[in-house]
Amino acid sequence: MLEARGLSKRYGGFLALDRVDFQVRRGEILGYLGPNGSGKSTTVNTVVGLIDPSAGSLWMDGAPIADDPVGYKRRIGYVPEEPHLYTHLTAIEYLMLVGRLRGLTERTLAEKIPALLKLLLLWDSRYATMAAYSKGMRQRVLFAAALMHNPDLLVLDEPFSGLDVTASLLFRTLLRMYAAGDRMVLFSTHRFDMVEKLCSRVVILSRGRIAAEYDMEEFRSQQSRSLEEVFIQATGQDDFTPVAREILDLMQP
Amino acid sequence: MRAAFAAWRRRFTEREEWRLTEHFFRALFDFGFLSDLAADSFKRVLIGSIGGFIAFGLLLTRAFMVKYAVLLGTGTPERYRRALLGDDMLIIGLPMLLVAFVTLLVSHSLFPDERDFRILGPLPVQRFVVFRAKLTALLMFAGLFTAAAHVSLLPLTLLTSLNPWGEHNVFLRLIAWAIASLTGSAFAILSITAVVGALVLAISRSQLQALSTFMRSMVLGLLVVCLPLVSHLPTLGPALSSQASWMLFVPPAWFLGLQRTLQGQGDSWLVQLGAVGFIATLLAAMVVGVTYLVLFRQFERLMLRPAPTSSPWWRADRFPTRSRVSPAFEGAYGFTMKTIGRSQLHQGVLVGLSACGIGMATIFLTSARITTSAVFVPFLLMFACGVGARAALALPIDYRANWIFQVTEDRLTRRDQLRAVDRLVTMYVIAVPLAAAAPLLWMAHSTNALLPAAVVVAVGLVFVHGVLLDWQRIPFTCSYLPGKRFIGHSALIGVAACILFTVTGGGFVRLATVDATLGTIVAASLLLIGYWLRGRRLLNWARTPLMFEDEFPDQPLRLQL
Repeated sequence: MLEARGLSKRYGGFLALDRVDFQVRRGEILGYLGPNGSGKSTTVNTVVGLIDPSAGSLWMDGAPIADDPVGYKRRIGYVPEEPHLYTHLTAIEYLMLVGRLRGLTERTLAEKIPALLKLLLLWDSRYATMAAYSKGMRQRVLFAAALMHNPDLLVLDEPFSGLDVTASLLFRTLLRMYAAGDRMVLFSTHRFDMVEKLCSRVVILSRGRIAAEYDMEEFRSQQSRSLEEVFIQATGQDDFTPVAREILDLMQP
Repeated sequence: MRAAFAAWRRRFTEREEWRLTEHFFRALFDFGFLSDLAADSFKRVLIGSIGGFIAFGLLLTRAFMVKYAVLLGTGTPERYRRALLGDDMLIIGLPMLLVAFVTLLVSHSLFPDERDFRILGPLPVQRFVVFRAKLTALLMFAGLFTAAAHVSLLPLTLLTSLNPWGEHNVFLRLIAWAIASLTGSAFAILSITAVVGALVLAISRSQLQALSTFMRSMVLGLLVVCLPLVSHLPTLGPALSSQASWMLFVPPAWFLGLQRTLQGQGDSWLVQLGAVGFIATLLAAMVVGVTYLVLFRQFERLMLRPAPTSSPWWRADRFPTRSRVSPAFEGAYGFTMKTIGRSQLHQGVLVGLSACGIGMATIFLTSARITTSAVFVPFLLMFACGVGARAALALPIDYRANWIFQVTEDRLTRRDQLRAVDRLVTMYVIAVPLAAAAPLLWMAHSTNALLPAAVVVAVGLVFVHGVLLDWQRIPFTCSYLPGKRFIGHSALIGVAACILFTVTGGGFVRLATVDATLGTIVAASLLLIGYWLRGRRLLNWARTPLMFEDEFPDQPLRLQL
């Protein structure tokens, strides 16, 4: 189980995360919802070890990750929000690089990479550098890179952006089956539909704090409102009709 | 009148074509890897360099005053004529080299590209407007530097024109020089544009990146090597007047021929040279024209070429299944090699700075005896290669993609990754100079060349550890802050370090050639020092985390009040 205890992050005078607590249990996909600037990406960056928290700690299976950050990093896979990858490399070269950095042997890479690329429909584009790839193709490469080393915890930051319907369906099924194998998924997103279909629990973040937390099973049976309505209330979103009207007015010649 | 001009100016600058031209002109200063602040300061440096050319021109005039005072005072018309041939070649060759450099620098923006296609395509702008704006921007950019170069050399041209023998009409000579030299500069711009254009048209998208990067690096290397050769142009007067056939391969000589023909002073040899220059310019212009035309007519097809579906002929479709080194080592090594192979910026920096060494070595070779050259040339090359390698590896590529290195960093893999960097730099910094020095050492010392060569290798090992002493980065993954140090200060330290290194290294080699025992002791001591330095660095690699954020050398102490 991954546990965040009192996680805070301060950038100068700005408090991006304020004493956030959550758990990702084995076998579950935790949805992490929040508007822009609510601290979702800061949480994700802290969980994958790209930034250190200003206060609080992360625990994995009952042990603080600060005790063995390297061992912890070996157990996670990460798909970032933007497809930041080395676009001058081909997909094969990039996956080789990632696999080698994760300590996989050449033999394992030789088996896994072609198979993954074929399954993700990237095999035909294997000779092109990723500069020529669409966003969806790059996202698929990132998924392959995140799964290649069989991680315990998968951290996904808006992973479905740019993916077509087929790829989205594939990854949705994949994530469900992956989590069912006693593994964990932290799924940060803006998309309510994805959370409703995919997640076992959801945490709603607003202005760096946890505004609400629901078990999706209970939510479905007890709440009469949709997740979107709950989100709007929890995050204090305004009625956008006046803003939309103002934009339409501005469009007039 | 003023109001009418202002109205015309407003109308002109508000036209969509002018806006686009302005945009393309600004884009020529954008290299994609600099931050806004750095790009702004780069623009200032570039514009400031125009002032630098003019100052250089005046300095050159001052230097030539002495030569011409002697020549006009005690010389003969024949000596003046011969000297003028060489000096005119310099006056024509300098702007050619300068504009060639500048054109190469902006070669990424010479033709409308896929980005222009995707951004401007959906906008209500006609395609010929895009092409015309691009061409105008390019002409403005090249024209700016061409004009600056010619203005800076005008005083020198005037100085060389004055003579007591009435050799030529000064006004006519100036006109002929302007036409010939501008044609020469146009040739330089067009030939580089033609090479880039031919690559855009002829090569598939997958091969374009690697091949055009390679071609540009080669041209850059060639231009850098030409730098010291340009300074030798004034000495080529006698070769030109004796009609040496190899002058047909010296482009400034072509345009000198054109100048003399226009002045009405060309003999058949100079007319022939002038014709070669004229035809070469015409050919380059034709290639550029055809490229623009083909691109214009088949823009979509060329820009949206499908990704390749078959393996390029040089790349086998197989995976390695065994490795004798650790995966982390393989990862960092492969990543570095592929980036150097494909990134124009990184390859350009590496080749450009290394070519500076070749240029300096060429001066040495042409002005010193072979025994002296064999002693110092390897170290000149070594220094340039070392600086080039470090500079190239320090520049980032896709900076935000470095997260993969951050999330996989650990003590053991870090050591292996840094070992990979060490191996690459060692190979480059030692192998290139040694390959260049081996024939020199052989010619100078024949069978006794082994010990001096061993000393070169030993010095190289110590030098690599010196160059990478504080290196704690995976190549291309750390951010880059330009302007960390004052550029003049850095250049001064660099020149001093180069001289010190070359003299010291040369001293060791000389010692090895004079006394074999002493040479062996020197080589052994250097190897020991290298071994000790390596041990220290290995220890440091294990202890210190990798660097992903560049820092100013003297960070102010934060009081945290």
